[in-house]
Amino acid sequence: MFQNRAEALALALPAAIFAAAVFLVPVVILLSDGFRVPTGGWTISAYTDFFSNSLNQTVFLRTLRLGALVTIASAAIGYAAAFAIVSLEPGAKGKVTGLVVLPLMISPVARTYAWIVILGRTGIVNQAFQALGITEAPLRILFSETAIFIGLLQLFLPLMIISLISALENMPKDAIPAARVLGANWFQVFWKVVLPLTKEGLVIGGTLVFTGSLTAYITPAILGGSKVLMLETLLYQQVAVSNNFVAASVIAFILIVMSFAANILLKRVATARNKQRSQA
Amino acid sequence: MNKVILASGTALMLAMGVAQTPALAQEKTLTISVYALAQDEYKQIVYDPFQKICGCKLVVETGNSVERLAKMEANKANPVVDMAVISMADALAASRAGLTDKIDTSKLANFSKLYDVAKDPNGDGMSVGYTFYATSIAYRSDKMKIDSWADLLKPEYASHVAWPNVTTNQGPPALYMLGLALAKDTPDLKAPIEAVGAKKGEIVTFYEKSSQLVQLMQQEEIWAAPIGRFTWAPFTKLGFPIAWATPKEGQTGGMNVMTVTKGSKNRDLALQFMDFWLSTEVQTKLAEKLIDSPSNKDVKLPEAIANNLTYGEETAKSLKLIPSAVALDNRAGWIKTWNEKVGQ
Repeated sequence: MFQNRAEALALALPAAIFAAAVFLVPVVILLSDGFRVPTGGWTISAYTDFFSNSLNQTVFLRTLRLGALVTIASAAIGYAAAFAIVSLEPGAKGKVTGLVVLPLMISPVARTYAWIVILGRTGIVNQAFQALGITEAPLRILFSETAIFIGLLQLFLPLMIISLISALENMPKDAIPAARVLGANWFQVFWKVVLPLTKEGLVIGGTLVFTGSLTAYITPAILGGSKVLMLETLLYQQVAVSNNFVAASVIAFILIVMSFAANILLKRVATARNKQRSQA
Repeated sequence: MNKVILASGTALMLAMGVAQTPALAQEKTLTISVYALAQDEYKQIVYDPFQKICGCKLVVETGNSVERLAKMEANKANPVVDMAVISMADALAASRAGLTDKIDTSKLANFSKLYDVAKDPNGDGMSVGYTFYATSIAYRSDKMKIDSWADLLKPEYASHVAWPNVTTNQGPPALYMLGLALAKDTPDLKAPIEAVGAKKGEIVTFYEKSSQLVQLMQQEEIWAAPIGRFTWAPFTKLGFPIAWATPKEGQTGGMNVMTVTKGSKNRDLALQFMDFWLSTEVQTKLAEKLIDSPSNKDVKLPEAIANNLTYGEETAKSLKLIPSAVALDNRAGWIKTWNEKVGQ
């Protein structure tokens, strides 16, 4: 676009300086706290301490597990929903997509509080279960991993659906009928045709959902509380209750690494499948 | 464009010129550090009237006690805050860290009106109590009967109880009373924490914000929870039979205190402000708005208001407070034991 490279760089400079000053530098300072020895020098002892504590191990694994489960579940539901939406008439498609996006415009606090009412002992879920004779006494759903899972899934599912809609729209229209004609069953159509052609959307959606689940604070705080700690609620505890900024910086670093790792892993999985196909 | 700048510059200079005269009269500034609670009412009842009396400017810093103490520690060499209100245990922590100074109570005209427990809560002369509160159990009297702190862990009740997390202000006092009920009241709170840990699957939640409890009680998610008296009022409006327990081990609670910063350049002004806050008039107004239970024994309250507060000499004397030194020396250990037995 620009003939002169220097001109383009000059235009990018203000934004780059701004981002560096208000984002990169504070993040580096924050993260370096976890590696610094108060008397000078560097160490990773804060990290070994963190991972040698069994509570921290539990919380770390729980955060990882819930993030993965939410991502897998939103991909499964997301593909079904995105297929349905893509096959609609253009007018209806716009409206339904709007409905999918609508929850994103409502504060997560309000959405999460609604779950307290819905999932409570006297909430509609328990009332329905009891009316249908599935359970006799009300189930305890609130303040459990299940509650956090439901809350996070509802929070981030729209992001997955939107990513998959645009991926499916970019897929050649004849691909599925062609695969069917050539004798593929529906599972093969999805696994060998749809998935490879929409992997970009899945990687983007998966990264958004996974990193979102890792870093969401309100939902685990309200639906899990201190009974079901996640890394983000543990981080809050370290800062606001224990005033332990070193441990908090360790958790922040772990969360960032997990987010990057998830993105790299998802991309790797996608390209690995490509290679397999081209070799075959 | 230039005209606009010129005009606003002139306006600014004029405004500054006009403001010059009162600014000179208000050269004294007092910086206070308080909890971020009920600031509108405090402004109306305490801050604004005091500014009129002293002809000084009041700068109010708010936040939770951890943040505020961290800030005071960071500014130790050159203190910004002149007086701070914190919890009894935090006051001892601040005093041990050399952040506060002895309070010259001869300059507090209202000092003699305070309940004895509030006069020198930590016994080091570094703090004065301005409010205290009882902690007991709010419970559904139609569903359960609470005669002892240990009743909360009964098999038929435990799955309807919210217990305060150890990191909250109500957590350690509630555990302390449970320890008394179990007749194992060592300062490390080991026995009560283990008892709670044994029931952790059943207990509904370990709450961190008491504001959450009203909703849980309304949804009948819980029937009982240990709470501070200052959060009691909303429970009485839920339309359920909810009672305030008087367990045989007694009630516990906490006290908030005033401290003066070491090295404050406005010592006398800080003491004047504290004295104003402790006066019968101000303490009565704060009580009438249900903000702080009075530590001034001359405050007389109608029964309807007294019922929502921690009020009266008998109550003040009967509260079993955890000594600050015990709290400070064991706090880290409590959290560690809690995380091992309850947190996972």
